[in-house]
Amino acid sequence: MSLIKVENLVKDYKINVKKKGLVGAIGSLLVPEYKMKRAVDNISFTIDKGETVGFIGPNGAGKSTTVKMLTGILTPTSGNVEIGGLCPYKQRKKNASRIGVVFGQRTQLWWDLPVIDTFELLKHIYKVPEKVYDENIELFSEMLGLKDFINQPVRQLSLGQKMRADIAASLLHNPQIIFFDEPTIGLDVVAKEKIREFIKYINKEKGITMLFTTHDMQDIEKTCSRMIIIDHGTTIYDGTVDQIKNRYGKTRTLIVEFGQVYDKIDLIPGVEVVDTKDNKKWLAFKKEEVHISSLIADLTNKYSILDLTIQEPEIESIIREIYEGGVNYDKSLSGGGKEVLSK
Amino acid sequence: MIRAYLEVAKKSFQNNITYRMDYFAGVINTIVMIFVNISIWKAIYEEEEVVGGVQFKIIMAYLVLSFLLQNIFTMEDYLIEGRVTTGLISSDLLKPMSFRLYVFSYNIGSLVFKAVMQLLPAMIVTVALFGMLPPFSASMFIYFLISVVLGYLVLYNLNFIIWISSFWFYFTFSLVTIKDAAVMILSGALIPLWFMPQWLYEFIKLTPFDSIFFVPISIYLGQIPAEEVFTSIIKQVAWVAVLGLVGHILWKAATKKLVVQGG
Amino acid sequence: MKDYKGFTIFEIIALFFSYSKLNLKTTLEYKFDRVLLAFAIFCREMVSVIVMYLILTRFVRIKGWEMNEMLFLYSFLFLSYCIFVFIFTGIRDFDGMVYSGDLDRFLIRPLGLMYQVIASRVDYCATIGHGAVGIILFIKTSGDIGIQWTASNIAYYLTALIGGAIIQAALFMLSSCFSFWTIRTTNLRNLIFFNSRRFAGYPISFYPVIIQKLLIFVVPFAFVSFFPSQYFLRKTDMNMFWDGYLYLTPVVGVVMFFLVYKLWTVGLKNYSSSGNSM
Ligand SMILES: Nc1ncnc2c1ncn2[C@@H]1O[C@H](COP(=O)(O)OP(=O)(O)OP(=O)(O)O)[C@@H](O)[C@H]1O
Ligand SMILES: [Mg+2]
Repeated sequence: MSLIKVENLVKDYKINVKKKGLVGAIGSLLVPEYKMKRAVDNISFTIDKGETVGFIGPNGAGKSTTVKMLTGILTPTSGNVEIGGLCPYKQRKKNASRIGVVFGQRTQLWWDLPVIDTFELLKHIYKVPEKVYDENIELFSEMLGLKDFINQPVRQLSLGQKMRADIAASLLHNPQIIFFDEPTIGLDVVAKEKIREFIKYINKEKGITMLFTTHDMQDIEKTCSRMIIIDHGTTIYDGTVDQIKNRYGKTRTLIVEFGQVYDKIDLIPGVEVVDTKDNKKWLAFKKEEVHISSLIADLTNKYSILDLTIQEPEIESIIREIYEGGVNYDKSLSGGGKEVLSK
Repeated sequence: MIRAYLEVAKKSFQNNITYRMDYFAGVINTIVMIFVNISIWKAIYEEEEVVGGVQFKIIMAYLVLSFLLQNIFTMEDYLIEGRVTTGLISSDLLKPMSFRLYVFSYNIGSLVFKAVMQLLPAMIVTVALFGMLPPFSASMFIYFLISVVLGYLVLYNLNFIIWISSFWFYFTFSLVTIKDAAVMILSGALIPLWFMPQWLYEFIKLTPFDSIFFVPISIYLGQIPAEEVFTSIIKQVAWVAVLGLVGHILWKAATKKLVVQGG
Repeated sequence: MKDYKGFTIFEIIALFFSYSKLNLKTTLEYKFDRVLLAFAIFCREMVSVIVMYLILTRFVRIKGWEMNEMLFLYSFLFLSYCIFVFIFTGIRDFDGMVYSGDLDRFLIRPLGLMYQVIASRVDYCATIGHGAVGIILFIKTSGDIGIQWTASNIAYYLTALIGGAIIQAALFMLSSCFSFWTIRTTNLRNLIFFNSRRFAGYPISFYPVIIQKLLIFVVPFAFVSFFPSQYFLRKTDMNMFWDGYLYLTPVVGVVMFFLVYKLWTVGLKNYSSSGNSM
């Protein structure tokens, strides 16, 4: 049974039009002008209990707007949202008690007070039983390393520490669903990794359903099984993460470390040198045109080779191509997420 | 070079336009303030036709002028603080532009905005409602204009000293507020200084405060004898210089602190 | 899966104290700053008191009102504002909450929005700043103007203060409603609130009839200071007004608060459909 159901969701914003120049500015002082901007344009999807879904798209695609509608902050212009049978903006409080939200751009912690104070307050707000609260604090302290800074005022925390505390804060009441809107923004590699691991663990152990918005594709690869890509407010992909790689990621790279420095090498057709550094070369080829085994065989015959590495296509570059319109995405895939998953 | 500063002023002018509600409220605020104060003084004068040798008409003109001036003398109190707390001040100092002149231009931009967009409508309404005494004489009017400019500069330099303190204190809201309170009472903004107890009046004359509102308005109304007008203006000039000097010294100390401590 | 249950009144109050505790802790984090701030607010509020004092030292009485009577009237404004700001700081700061996105955060909590707005903030500095002015005025005047502090008078006095606080809360809430539509409303609020308050610092009989009507029926500051003080002083200018007004302060407060709250919920609907948040 699906936990989140979104049908033909639409959101229009009303925007105040500012006219240019001094005269224009004085003009709009007297007669303001508005125009409508469609931020979310007819999105539909469903998410099952326990699923982890990456929700991505370029800046301004409408991700945050969608999350705000799912969490009950905004009312949709049209369309339906159902979260566990509840309508988030009509049954806001009841819905709120079941969900957790992290807005990476904005903290929910009390700025001047130690982290623990916010936690204590949240305990009362969500009426978390003492036992559950203690267990969760214990768990989060261990996994997110909160111990080191739980008694420090939030304003003195680093970005990564703050984010970890924020994530813990949104999970204290064991929500059924958690919405992450860019929880890894601005964090270093190690901090990101820690958060990803935690998220995976929480999903597995507690079965929390998750919608994860980010611009870091590694977040998605490491934590999500499915992903929804939107652009200009419409869904352009909904399917598994693996599938998108198979579909679009046709270019492989072979990194070869030669025994000596070759200026020029002789390659079988369909392979190109894309980069060279000292005795290392990066060779790109299309997976269906060139067999990796024949390429390797050819190379080992001709040259002395120290090491070989095959690089899978980076999801990052696939997504970049999709955003830039370089890949002709298959519309039939949109909304097909369910089928792919059931395999 | 001058162009750059003109651009800053223009920018601040435009910033002021952005907030439509604030703009209308600013005009009405001034009118209401004038109205309340005139009502109170009217109530006072109902009992005594003439008090202290000054007629009600003069008081009325005094209050109108004072609130109109107060409106256009409102400055951007948190401009410098904003740059300091966000740390942008360091890059400001690297720009090929004097930061102090930048701040000044910015304030002049808002001054022009207020003079054109707020002062004029407020003036028309209040003059229509309450009438207005003409200047005491043509020459006094010229002196008045000079004195207003000097009054603005005295207040600006005083404000600048408070603004600069943001290099040492994180928030300057408290200091700004206390300064405003002092200016309100001591500058004759709300009550003509001649109604103050003698000792207080004597004391205020030793401070820069009366130079801000009281001197220009008194000149306009001819309340300062012609032979003293000149000394009053000289006194204003002196205060502009003294406060400017203090501001300059503090500014040097502040930038030095910035360099030494890295902000 | 535990199901969502509403809060009992006891839990709501306990939670309110949890919030207050955090607010107090925040204030104590910056002791020096906050003391200076309270002092600054005190100075700012004293300006109009000092002006009134200076005028009355010179003119002794205005329309039959003497110094202590006038300052007594003024004390109502400060003390009721002190109560208002102690309880309703959140309503005062509402514009900021909309602008900073705090409001969005409130919307993802399983609690009423107005409750969170009110509970989440207490401005102790303003409470102390205004309270100090009020108390100084009260102490200076209350013994001098012939008031018998009987039980019923004390009861009236306290009800009037609380009623006045609620009237001001309703006025602030009215202006905060606008921030659902056009985020920045500080000047509009200054206009409505602080200007009316300025009027209300003096007996309303000083003003033209139209202003008196405005202060009774539109922005009812007359019920915050003038009528409550007239209950005790019965100056002759009370003859201009209906006697019933003397007792209406709490009624006006509650009715207004209720009406404005209705408007506020409409504004909230608009907010979540337009998404002014950024
Ligand atoms: N309150 C608002 N008023 C008007 N327009 C808005 C508002 N909020 C967002 N928008 C517009 O709606 C569109 C979608 O914005 P949204 O914040 O949902 O994008 P996003 O996918 O979250 O982008 P990002 O990756 O940058 O966070 C953008 O064009 C944005 O300019
Ligand atoms: Mg976003």
